[in-house]
Amino acid sequence: MNDHDHFLDDVAVYALGALPRAEADAVRAHMRDCEICRDEYAALTQTGTMMSASASTAPSDLVKRRIMREVRGERAVRSTPLWPAYLVAAASFVIAVISTASNLSLEGRSHLATSQVAQLEHTSASLRSELATQRRMLADVVGADARRYVAGHGEVITNSNRVYLALNSLPAVPHGKTYQAWTQQRGAKTMTPSVLFVPDLQGRAVVQLPTKDAGNIVAVAVSVEPASGSKAPTTAPVFLVATE
Amino acid sequence: MIDANQLMARVRARDARSFEALYDGFGKLVHGVALRMLGNAATAEDVTQSVFLKIWTSPDLYRGGSFASWVVRVTRNRCLDVLRKDSKNADSEIPEDLPEAEILEDQVTLRIDAERARSAMAQLPAEQRTPIELGFFDGLTHEQIALRLDVPLGTIKTRIRAGLHKLRASLEEARR
Repeated sequence: MNDHDHFLDDVAVYALGALPRAEADAVRAHMRDCEICRDEYAALTQTGTMMSASASTAPSDLVKRRIMREVRGERAVRSTPLWPAYLVAAASFVIAVISTASNLSLEGRSHLATSQVAQLEHTSASLRSELATQRRMLADVVGADARRYVAGHGEVITNSNRVYLALNSLPAVPHGKTYQAWTQQRGAKTMTPSVLFVPDLQGRAVVQLPTKDAGNIVAVAVSVEPASGSKAPTTAPVFLVATE
Repeated sequence: MIDANQLMARVRARDARSFEALYDGFGKLVHGVALRMLGNAATAEDVTQSVFLKIWTSPDLYRGGSFASWVVRVTRNRCLDVLRKDSKNADSEIPEDLPEAEILEDQVTLRIDAERARSAMAQLPAEQRTPIELGFFDGLTHEQIALRLDVPLGTIKTRIRAGLHKLRASLEEARR
């Protein structure tokens, strides 16, 4: 047996899953630089999987029923999510206000001062922009390309390099406090402060996190902070979700 | 043939039917490993349920490669947690991240039916089969295996390696 056979033996035991953690770490470190051992490990891991088939036994039907009940139960809830309804309601309100503003400017222009008309048109333009934003948010959070990460009280959703919190049943924050979001960039050791927000009366909040590089965000958290926000979290997170 | 990678992509999009197909394809494998390791039908079913619900709630834990290998690792680690709680085992583990070199397609694994795999195992000499089973299904470390069988540690390692290679050759032959 030559020196390297000793490593190959350890790799085989590691592939079987019978190495204690400390020795497993040593094997992993060795394999980083040894293609022979990496190939051996890949081959023998496959063997372990094929060997598992020797134990294949169907569980009772009850297992599948229980699993699918949970899956379908969750999907039933998800099929009527609160947050798209929230966004639609907000969008409808914005459309109504724009229509009213437009009608006023069309029908009542002759009775209004020029400055009043200008102000209405400015408001209308702002609301149109807001509506476009709301529509984009809605498309992002319900889109098939959206990636969803289950969080306490809802989801973190990423789509097209944008990041959203879609939350419901959030408790009201005490007076003088706010919810604050945090993001962690890849390679960073600490979390970066993000938006402050409060839920509506139903405990719902749909928030886009301002970021130029959503693809490099590896974690999102929310905590309760003073109303002016914090530079570092001062309370335990309401939730912390890994997004990669 | 089941393409687990495609099914997992649909599971990420919350497609319950694809998830159900995944369970139908791999449920026996997961349950079988759990039952073999734990020796208790009720606990094995609990582990099976727990593994698949984890797949549903956190599909991004699977990062590609052989789904069968990944789900077997997850199941073994879950079973090892159960065994550790019962203080039956030391701290062996298999990392759930798969090496990049692992490219075995799931179609290959599923073509190794249970009967052929059992037959291949039975053909191994006992001195190789026993340490492999103790390590894989009973969750023992190599030192525990050596102690139990009263065989030097170096010999156990060599037998495990030789046995796995022999098993691989038999299973590859069975595939053809």
